[in-house]
Amino acid sequence: MTPAQKNAWFSLAVVATCLAVLAALVPMLGPVRAQGAFGIMGLLGFGWFFFRKPPGEVVADERDDQIRRRAMLIAHFVFWVVFLLAGVACPFLYGPTGAVPVLVVVYGLWLAFSLFLTVAAVATLVQYSLGGDDAA
Amino acid sequence: MPPEQPGPLKNQVRRLRFERGEMTQQELAERVGVTRQTIIALEAGKYTPSLLLAFRLARAFGVGVEEVFRYEDGDGTGRGSG
Repeated sequence: MTPAQKNAWFSLAVVATCLAVLAALVPMLGPVRAQGAFGIMGLLGFGWFFFRKPPGEVVADERDDQIRRRAMLIAHFVFWVVFLLAGVACPFLYGPTGAVPVLVVVYGLWLAFSLFLTVAAVATLVQYSLGGDDAA
Repeated sequence: MPPEQPGPLKNQVRRLRFERGEMTQQELAERVGVTRQTIIALEAGKYTPSLLLAFRLARAFGVGVEEVFRYEDGDGTGRGSG
């Protein structure tokens, strides 16, 4: 398994843990205080651990770079589609002159970040399972 | 016998590796500066390398690029000497 694959699985695990803890905390603490669960996302900072380079060893090359770039592109695309759909849905949910609650915006941002990470990780894993395709 | 490589670009990496004293995938990867997974994907025909990597591979084997890679048209006619 390449470092990028390990990092993708790690990202998925962190996001899943974060959302599970959030789901458990919301009924107990309420939606405002339960936001603390998003702090678990900070663990993503340890992703660099997988890319440590032992002397003389190649941990990533042009194929890994190509896969990473494609995964980011796919994640960006999905993010913008969901962002636009959410914007279009707001007038229907809150009325044409209504106001979006601040908490919805905050949760929306965190969930969008989670979605981005999940799509990027899945796209990375799928590309590796398919062989990596062609260089640019 | 190696599996049939999909796509129009066929390569002789596996054969050349064995002709060079059964060079391992790891040894080849270290020589050209890529990961072993990339060599595996190359040999399986699942990855088409950049021109730069193609030249590095050819240099590692001490042959020309067209001895490592061969482009096959839809009608099956090959281009290159592989």
